[in-house]
Amino acid sequence: MPDLEPIVGRYLNVNIDQVNYRIYFEEAGEGIPLLCLHTAGADSRQFRHLLNDAEVTRRYRVIAFDMPYHGRSNPPDGWWLQKYLLTMKGYLALVRHVWLALGLERPVIMGGSMGGAIVLKLAAEYQRELHGIIGLESSAFAPGRYNDYLHHPAIHGSELVASYTFGLCAPNSPETSRRENWWYYSQSGPGVYAGDVHYYSNDWDGREDIKTIDTSVCKVSLLTGEYDYSCTPDMTRAVAAAIVGSRLVIMNGMGHFPMVENYPLFREFLLPELDFMATT
Amino acid sequence: MPQRAHSIFSDDWLVRAQAQVNTDAELQLIGTWFTTAFSLTCTDRRAERRAIVRFERGRLVDILPSPRLDVRCAFGFRASLEIWTKFFAANPEPLYHDFFAMLMRVPGFVLEGDTLVAMQNARALHRAMNVMRSVEP
Repeated sequence: MPDLEPIVGRYLNVNIDQVNYRIYFEEAGEGIPLLCLHTAGADSRQFRHLLNDAEVTRRYRVIAFDMPYHGRSNPPDGWWLQKYLLTMKGYLALVRHVWLALGLERPVIMGGSMGGAIVLKLAAEYQRELHGIIGLESSAFAPGRYNDYLHHPAIHGSELVASYTFGLCAPNSPETSRRENWWYYSQSGPGVYAGDVHYYSNDWDGREDIKTIDTSVCKVSLLTGEYDYSCTPDMTRAVAAAIVGSRLVIMNGMGHFPMVENYPLFREFLLPELDFMATT
Repeated sequence: MPQRAHSIFSDDWLVRAQAQVNTDAELQLIGTWFTTAFSLTCTDRRAERRAIVRFERGRLVDILPSPRLDVRCAFGFRASLEIWTKFFAANPEPLYHDFFAMLMRVPGFVLEGDTLVAMQNARALHRAMNVMRSVEP
């Protein structure tokens, strides 16, 4: 018998502002939709452990998709004529279109890093249509990650981006897992990580939006790793302070990529939040 | 200051760092193009300790403590004794656990010189610095 995992991969076609996108996504499980957003310059493989976690998938339909330009989701036609620069507006529209196209009813949306930022905006815009959000390494304002070397003709971008993000993991996370994330990061296309960081570090400012989130209609859980220096615990504490009724967990011994750098430890922090999300 | 701090970039420490770096299998694998020289500078109230380390194809081939002005290097890391001590701690505290973290969050940790060369060698440089952390004080 082949040793098959329960994860199934498919392609979804969506049209956003007259542009066609072919989106790759993976899913596993049944129940409350849990839509997962990967970090900048990475792809949905970061959620493979979650997608394989039976304790999660017995009550959640876990879905993780690759953003255009990432993983197995191609850039849109004509990509060679435009610089890839993710914006808050474009990112919000993308997640919303995928969510609606898949017919996800009152999902929980969980995102990491830039995904942890956009879930705050999603909650502010669509809170009555959400079960809740889980922000991993969520900040409302995160300047300082962009630099021109991230996409530079004299630098091997793949190795720089992967090394630049490697130390965002906690030093005690398992080496195999940290290296796995390094590998994912080494595989983004030229300028893709930089284009994502443009959103995260230059375009994103949700400090006013988050004040409008009503946790009585949209639950909010915020989990941030102790060793995260991109979104520090203090940055997430500021988010939590602005959202009355939000739950804050500082994950000791964790870095910026909890779902991939140390899943066994992460699930100890995540499962109580999934319980919380599932309660009526 | 813990005992560990006093040895940072001392002649003896640098020799042991050289041995550690040159037996690192990963660095030998990824270091084919890692041919450059950089400085390591540690400052405290009383003095400054500076050395240039020269790498050739991933091997640390020369250590030049207190270099004269005619010894060139492409770039360097400069920080106080207090900052380096935290970086080289056995269990570094958050923000001091990686040189990229310190470049972003620790104002006294400085990458000086030609930063382009540093980033061209980011992978091997990152590995070399992490291997040096395992050097006993």
